[in-house]
Amino acid sequence: MLLQQIINGFMIGCVYALTAMGGTLIYGILRILDIANAAAYVVGAYLGWVIYATTGNLAVAFFLSMALTGAIGVLIQKFIYTPILNKPNIIPIVPLITSVGIFIFTGDFIRLLVGPEIKDFGVILPFSVIKLGRIVINPEWILIIIMTAILLSLLWFVLNKTKLGLAWRATAGDSEIAETMGVNIQKVMALSYIMGYGFASAAGMMIGVLYSSIYPTMGDIPSYKMLAIIVLGGLGNPIGTIAAGLVIGLSETLISAYVGSVIPRDAIAFLVLITILLVKPTGLISRKNSI
Amino acid sequence: MLKLQDAEIFYGQMEVIKKVSLEVKQGELVSVIGANGAGKSTLIKAMMGLVKIKHGKLFYEGEDITDYPAWKRAELGIGYVPEGRRIFGDLSVEENLKMGAYKIKDKAQIKRNLEKAYDMFPKLSERRNQLARTMSGGEQQILAISRALILEPRLLLIDEVSMGLMPIMVNYCFSLIKELNQQGITVLVVEQNANKVLKIADRGYLIETGQIMVEGTAESLRQNDVVLKAYLGE
Repeated sequence: MLLQQIINGFMIGCVYALTAMGGTLIYGILRILDIANAAAYVVGAYLGWVIYATTGNLAVAFFLSMALTGAIGVLIQKFIYTPILNKPNIIPIVPLITSVGIFIFTGDFIRLLVGPEIKDFGVILPFSVIKLGRIVINPEWILIIIMTAILLSLLWFVLNKTKLGLAWRATAGDSEIAETMGVNIQKVMALSYIMGYGFASAAGMMIGVLYSSIYPTMGDIPSYKMLAIIVLGGLGNPIGTIAAGLVIGLSETLISAYVGSVIPRDAIAFLVLITILLVKPTGLISRKNSI
Repeated sequence: MLKLQDAEIFYGQMEVIKKVSLEVKQGELVSVIGANGAGKSTLIKAMMGLVKIKHGKLFYEGEDITDYPAWKRAELGIGYVPEGRRIFGDLSVEENLKMGAYKIKDKAQIKRNLEKAYDMFPKLSERRNQLARTMSGGEQQILAISRALILEPRLLLIDEVSMGLMPIMVNYCFSLIKELNQQGITVLVVEQNANKVLKIADRGYLIETGQIMVEGTAESLRQNDVVLKAYLGE
């Protein structure tokens, strides 16, 4: 049924947008593709699982996991990326490989710490299944809608209504000039990492709750799908990222529902990416730098 | 007010500024002229702290600011109008001005200074909610200048104000610079259009391949053979 598929695709798209948002916020300021954002997705899921198991409170699990993962992000930025980027004549491939390294390390570290097996998230949600005619909306979907709405509103508020958010947008446009106006770039970078890694952590938890399972390699597929979304969104554009997440989520769901498994589901994101970039090389919503 | 002493600047191994000394006194309008690639922009960027001075010193009101980051210089009262305007295109006009006021803590003062800019340039007021990149080149230049004025600088560094503008806007920008100077702001302009800038400047320096070749009053520069031949097209 078409409407049901659209709803499913929309939900998956929300999770994709949240996963990729960190990559976008970081690219906007540092001009690096941070694959380690997918590590935040895994770490967030595991932290959420541990905190939920101890406290039994899902809201606390979400909040603490996001805060802790965001804090880890700031540490990674301060002690790994900033020193690397401050080296003279650094080529962009170096931070990229570094981020791949952080990502692989994190997955393996978690595997050593808690084991390679799938863990059951085991959440009982306070919502029940909603049935509208033949359309079914699961409680997990409701959780995802509410969380996505809260987080994206928070992002919108921070970027558009706070001084630091204005500084973020100015720095994304021209970091050198923003600096001459007194913007502390380190602070703006920290904002990108706190929000970006926090969002990825929430996305990881959502997927953990949705499929009731978490495992050390759960970030592998999101890590490259996230790249497709960041590029499709116009590199460094938060609104473009939301649009791209939804486009990928919807096309995945609709194509696998109606075309069937001729095309593997996870390849669809890249087919969509390539098709759209052939038509519009700057992505869905391109950033227009003023120079 | 601003004093550069024996500055040497390198891009990698290449020395682009060779032992340059330069001074701007309180209340003056000083210009640095020279051809494309002579090192003018590098020089003004070094004064703002966007390019590192390898050897030599830079003093601002007697204070050694050689190692100060750009924003600290802005706080001290140095305003910067970059080459090519470099306004924040994805921000509104008002947000661009607010970025200029980033270091001001007092909200009432920010509001006052914004109003002052709008009074001075009504065009900006009309377009305050418009994205800056949708404005014409001339309007963007006015925005870049206003953005630098918001912090009430005592010294204004201006890089190639005439570049890419229509002749009528070029004239307007130069008379605006003169006016700002007469209002008490000390100005250093780096400019390719020697003819125009020497008409408003008090003093000038001619820079060629990273060295100062001629210096003196604007009047004497206009009479100078080297300047006449190479830059005033005679």
